[in-house]
Amino acid sequence: MSLQTYLNPGLNRTISRLRLSVYIWLILLVLALLALAPINSLLRNSLGHFYLPDKPVMPFELNLAEVFLANQEILGPYLGFLLTLMLLAGLIFTFLSAGLFGRMLSPDPVVTFREFLSDGARHFWKFFLSFLLFLPFLAVLLIIFRLLAAPLNLWSGRAVTEWPVIISSNLRMLVLVLLWTAFKLLLDLVRIIMVSESKKVIPAYVSALSFLRRHFLGLWGLYLLLGLAVIIISAFWFFIMHLLPAGAAPGVLAFIILGQIYIIFRVLARQVFIGVEYAYYLRRKGE
Amino acid sequence: MRKPTWPKAGPVFWLWLILFLACGLAAMADDRPVRYDLKVELIPETATLQGKETIVWINRTADYIPDIQFHLYWNAFKNERSTLAREASREKMISRYRAKKDEWGWIKLVSLYTDSGLDLMPAATFISPDGPHNPDDQTVLRVELPEPLAPGQSITLNLEFQAKVPGSGLRTGYYRDGFFIAQWFPKPGVYEEGRGWNCHEYHLNSEFYADFADYRVEITVPERMVVGACGEEVARRDDPASGKTTYTYVQQNIHDFAWTASPRFVKLERWFRGEEEVTPEEYRQMAELLGLSPQELKLPDVKMILLIEKQHQHQAERHFRALRAALKYYGLWYGPYPYRTITMVDPPYRTGSGGMEYPTLFTAGTSVLLEKDVLSPEQVIIHEFGHGYWYGLVANNEFEEAWLDEGINTYSTGRVSEVAYGPGRLPFRFIGLPLGWLIRPPAVYDWQLGRVVSATVAELDPILTASWKFFNSMSYALNVYYRAATCLHTLERLLGEKTWARVMRTYHMRYRFRHPKTEDFIRVVNEVSGQDLTWFFKEFFFNANNFDYAIGSVESRLKPEKYQGVFDGLPTGQASSPPAGGQEKTARKKEKIYETVITLRRYGPARTGPGYGLKLRVDFEDGSSEWREWDGHGRWVRFYFEKPARVKTAVLDPEAIWLVDSNLSNNSYSSQGPGARLLAATGKLVWFLQHLLLTFSGLL
Repeated sequence: MSLQTYLNPGLNRTISRLRLSVYIWLILLVLALLALAPINSLLRNSLGHFYLPDKPVMPFELNLAEVFLANQEILGPYLGFLLTLMLLAGLIFTFLSAGLFGRMLSPDPVVTFREFLSDGARHFWKFFLSFLLFLPFLAVLLIIFRLLAAPLNLWSGRAVTEWPVIISSNLRMLVLVLLWTAFKLLLDLVRIIMVSESKKVIPAYVSALSFLRRHFLGLWGLYLLLGLAVIIISAFWFFIMHLLPAGAAPGVLAFIILGQIYIIFRVLARQVFIGVEYAYYLRRKGE
Repeated sequence: MRKPTWPKAGPVFWLWLILFLACGLAAMADDRPVRYDLKVELIPETATLQGKETIVWINRTADYIPDIQFHLYWNAFKNERSTLAREASREKMISRYRAKKDEWGWIKLVSLYTDSGLDLMPAATFISPDGPHNPDDQTVLRVELPEPLAPGQSITLNLEFQAKVPGSGLRTGYYRDGFFIAQWFPKPGVYEEGRGWNCHEYHLNSEFYADFADYRVEITVPERMVVGACGEEVARRDDPASGKTTYTYVQQNIHDFAWTASPRFVKLERWFRGEEEVTPEEYRQMAELLGLSPQELKLPDVKMILLIEKQHQHQAERHFRALRAALKYYGLWYGPYPYRTITMVDPPYRTGSGGMEYPTLFTAGTSVLLEKDVLSPEQVIIHEFGHGYWYGLVANNEFEEAWLDEGINTYSTGRVSEVAYGPGRLPFRFIGLPLGWLIRPPAVYDWQLGRVVSATVAELDPILTASWKFFNSMSYALNVYYRAATCLHTLERLLGEKTWARVMRTYHMRYRFRHPKTEDFIRVVNEVSGQDLTWFFKEFFFNANNFDYAIGSVESRLKPEKYQGVFDGLPTGQASSPPAGGQEKTARKKEKIYETVITLRRYGPARTGPGYGLKLRVDFEDGSSEWREWDGHGRWVRFYFEKPARVKTAVLDPEAIWLVDSNLSNNSYSSQGPGARLLAATGKLVWFLQHLLLTFSGLL
């Protein structure tokens, strides 16, 4: 079977449910704005009336650093606030993930915010449990990673030049990413099975593991291919943003708009992954 | 009149003349209280040194001296109870110094005899002169002399020592067969007349202090090693039978000696030619600035030697370019480089010896993947070479007044980098890969970054604190390097370019080959500038006070045409201010008047000295400007303006003289604010956080 067998239905499913990305992007934006409210307030209070001459004493970024350093005492409590928010975001993202899978796998292509939330609520508990059950797999991932990284560590530990250290650092990162994608594939598949076949968590894990035992390499290859495409597009995106003129109002506006489009792209990419994985699962589960 | 002729000189005359000149030269050399003759062999297999040392020590003071105190620095790496290890432990940095098995460093005196054959080993005891007392520290050895050394008397000591090179230690160390050897031999402290020995333990946060001396050092290493050392190589002797090579290095008038050996070095040489590097116009301009003749500024030729790891060889010319710039500007600004060679070492990999200075030799440090606009090797090269001036030549006590070399040299590095390179970008790396093509941090001058980070320690310790007595390493580093440098940049702006250039030149040339103190620097500043700036040093060097002036508030409002109340000369009960004259009233209707009140604040306890203040420039929307001056002594002051326009911007210290102000962000007001820049900053933060959240969501 060709690649298009899985890509086309996945992409079609994503395109017919584009709104999902916008919902999630909006929620992300609100969360980010909420998390940054104290910092924004600090910056507005400290620099809201700052005069930036044509030839400043230092780059504006150092003014920002100066403000943060002058207000170090609030950064500790702020980090606490951020951590609490991240924990809360953990629950929110489990909910959003449930909504995303629910709507993506629904035969009904109509997406409303209400249905999105409703799916989130319906599958939340199962998704949360599936994550808890995923933690032992993460431990296995770390053990495998350490085993695979050991010879690299040994090699770089004995190095007499920088190259082995740089190469082994990159190889370690590559190994970690590859392992992560393999394990993430499992979690995705569990959730696909839970939603599409209304299975409970443990049976879904059993089915997913059984499926992966037979089709791991094919699905993983597909996953990696999509991942590579996302990385290439991202690098290009970053490069374009890097070229935007800093400081001038049009450049800033372009940066903000392109930046937000990129966030939507990342959410869309997630949708494509789910869509393609689902298509693959549907096609191959009988084999 | 007969033309005078020289009397015919006989052999006795010539002998007398030779003796006279020899004595004169000897007397010049004898200004220095120490002479070293060292022989050392490196045994790479065991990472050990076998050394012999002859020290001639002369009492140049009026004191009778009962003992000699030696530094045995490598004992700082002997165990976890040394003063250095304890300090590192206190700062949670012990893992950096805790050695693996067989990698502890130490130095052991095997024998110590006077020239007359008297064994002084029984009279040797370890002491810990710096508080708190540490009986386990063995970095200072006191040797009691059989009888006090009288003024002018000398003593010759013959020592034998063994030493184990610490594995990747602090400034010295080895990794595999690459060695950097510093602070490696028994070395007397500095005897200060009336005060006794100045011989401190090896501390985590301090560097060194020693007398100027003449060195002759023989280094024996396996023949595969490439060697570099302080001074000039004057001889090389190969011994094919043993497979060893002995190098002899000689240098007069230096106060330390370091060397390095590694088979992975590539040795390159270039010449710095004063005539080629500096144009006549540059000489002329500099001469005018300093009030000297161009002839007095001429820079001598210097042989530049680079020992660079093979993996970095492609950056060799980058290294030489930076060294050329340093030789040129330090030479022009402060005085010509007085030695014939300078050796630049790209330190052997993983020896922990990068970025360190020694007389006529310094270590740099780079990485294989390096972007062009990241000036990290350049700034290290300029800085460490610069220590040849500030520490090498003007040899302050680094234990007690580290700012005199680190602060002045950080200031100097910033100035040279600025002139030679402009601003550099901060490095951005991920798993060893440079990411400058992806993420673009701003290009900054060293001093800009330095003043921002050093503001955080303004109230922690005075700059003038003994190195080991700082609150922590961060306070030490930020105070003596960056806060001190920021203060010097402030002084430069306060005094003007010409006066400041003359201050620095005078201080350098006056204290070359001497050991100045902070008071000497202050004296030169006051003398050359003709001003009493003692207050400046008291405020910023002797005290830990924050200096922060600010625009507290700016209010600009329309002046009312009428005021409520009772006013003289008007009928009782008149509930408004006196009416203006007819014509004036008409004019007022056309022209609105705004009352502007600007409040300046002094948030920190530090303040400007008598006769020194701050300027305030206020620009109005109609294009007019007003200037005010504030002596800065009070906690606040208000300025009032009545103008036909609102205030547009107000800038305190618009000439940016007071760089030592810990928060420049509160020194200005603009009705518009920084606009797009602030939006960009918050936009980036939001974007970054969205990414973070999205990535985090992928985990769930």
